[in-house]
Amino acid sequence: MREVFIGRENLLKLIGRWARDHRVYVPVGFDDMNHPETPDYVLVEDEVPQNMILEGAAPAHSAKPFLFYPREVVANYPTSETEARVDAPSTIVIGPRGCDVRGVEKFDKVYWSTKHFTEEYDDPFYIEKRENTLLVTIDCTAPKETCFCTMVGGKPYAEDGFDLNLSLVTGGCILAAGTEAGEKLLEGSGDLLSDVLDSHREERDRNRNSVTEAVERQNAEFKVDVPYDRHNLEGTKEAWEEVTRDCVACGACNRCCPTCTCFLLVDHSAKGGYERTRDWDTCLSIGYARTGGGGNSRPYLSERLENRIRCKYEYSRDRYGLVTCTGCGRCIDVCMGKIDMREAIKHVVTEMAKA
Amino acid sequence: MKNLYRPIESVIEDIKPETPNITTYRFRPKEPITFEAGQFVELTVPGVGEAPFTPSSDPGMKDALEITIMRVGTVTAALEQLKVGDTVGLRGPYGHGYNFDDFEGREILVVGGGVGLAPLRSLIYALFHKPERFKKISIRYGARTPADIVYKDLLPEWEKVPNAEVQLTIDAPHPDWSGTVGVITVLLEDVPFDMKSAVACVCGPPIMLKFVNIKLLEKGMQPENIYHSMERNMSCGLGKCGHCMLGKYYICKDGPVLTAAQIAEFEDPF
Repeated sequence: MREVFIGRENLLKLIGRWARDHRVYVPVGFDDMNHPETPDYVLVEDEVPQNMILEGAAPAHSAKPFLFYPREVVANYPTSETEARVDAPSTIVIGPRGCDVRGVEKFDKVYWSTKHFTEEYDDPFYIEKRENTLLVTIDCTAPKETCFCTMVGGKPYAEDGFDLNLSLVTGGCILAAGTEAGEKLLEGSGDLLSDVLDSHREERDRNRNSVTEAVERQNAEFKVDVPYDRHNLEGTKEAWEEVTRDCVACGACNRCCPTCTCFLLVDHSAKGGYERTRDWDTCLSIGYARTGGGGNSRPYLSERLENRIRCKYEYSRDRYGLVTCTGCGRCIDVCMGKIDMREAIKHVVTEMAKA
Repeated sequence: MKNLYRPIESVIEDIKPETPNITTYRFRPKEPITFEAGQFVELTVPGVGEAPFTPSSDPGMKDALEITIMRVGTVTAALEQLKVGDTVGLRGPYGHGYNFDDFEGREILVVGGGVGLAPLRSLIYALFHKPERFKKISIRYGARTPADIVYKDLLPEWEKVPNAEVQLTIDAPHPDWSGTVGVITVLLEDVPFDMKSAVACVCGPPIMLKFVNIKLLEKGMQPENIYHSMERNMSCGLGKCGHCMLGKYYICKDGPVLTAAQIAEFEDPF
């Protein structure tokens, strides 16, 4: 696939051109946030924001909210319309990282089975958005403290799953197409592009290696003897209670997680009937597994947090063939109890070995 | 693309009280819904919400289906306020049916507790289509009190079916009851079946499933021959929303009937 070099100023022009025909989201810095170093997405309106940040690690949000809205109308009642009505504007998201495209992989398996050879039902609301959304990934240039992609088989750059990938190098960046749709984004903009030099490629490889090493180095203390895709985290009741001690079941980890695919269907009254929305849900809430009669298969918070973490490492692996913790570290960033997925796993594995 | 979340408008055609808190409704969907014994549907009370139920009618019944429902929560309480001619939403069916080819020529034990006989009723109808396909069909049913027994008019009819028998128990002695007393497991003490090859289909409250499972295994049944109707909160019914997850299983899609062998790895799957 095609690889080109583009200077920083020209990149802004190119993004501006894309914004004529697409909704384009770019990561920008917010000075007033608790994490000023973590950018988040904004929609490009008239011009590309000056505070666009391509450096660093993953933005505050993964690609999830672009493909699976936090709340979305999925049905009306009564209606005789059998087809799904989906609002899926043509969108380009600039900024997902290697961890984020691995997150999309889980969504593909759950919501788009015919293309991804799972045995699930195809979901029109996901598929249309997925088809109309192009992902322009960026190589991480430095990890956050909480990044641990390399511990779960990932890399701080995308190896596949992108339409275009952007690697920052001196004076600009390398744009590498991963799909035909990605190549099309470069069409007609030859005036902004030039050939990639060997020195650019060498610099890219050097950056990638050094960030990979940095992620490995900062996670050395969390290493356990079990490979990430061979975990049995059954653990002990006490170990899970210890992990849960500072959890308040706020569900922030579910929301920011690139692979939390769960939702709740909620009915609301609307003109002439009612409408049904599909809302993100959190498996940490006590009502999550509660049945009409009041029964609950996971009444204790420690059981629910155990379920969440084992879902990432074991249940998804056993069902979809995919460990769905991507090591993005967002659940650690947002946790008000400072629960760290890496420490949790190490604790459970260590205690189990003792038991 | 077809919308998976759209309920089909369905008219309430008949309402039949079974016990003080259990009612059988007959619904006529405006677009046909056909199901196999064991599968379930999602029922919407307009403006209130949606909940999963397994139909209790004969899967062979065309154009309409019946569901026997106990008042336990918001949706079921709202349903009780509706009248014949009102409409509800239905979508489905979801999950797998029982595999009857596997049951052929074998002894079948149907074990129900309380309103748990409702989903089993559609299974019983399906078994009774050709009762001679099976060596014997034994229905063992427990209710809390005599007043809580569902399908009082049908139980004597089922007794008359060739190859079939029905046994009942109630939880505690009662002036109106001269039959067996004790929880459902008392009816499982001396089943005259070859337990190694017999099949059991069980439905009832989680606590009952737990003890029936222990009893049947103790009596020598094979875990792969014990089918449990698992009770879980199911929002989508499609194996996506996650509410019914049990380890790697989505009860709605991989079940709602799972064998004791499938759930053996869990400490308390019920």
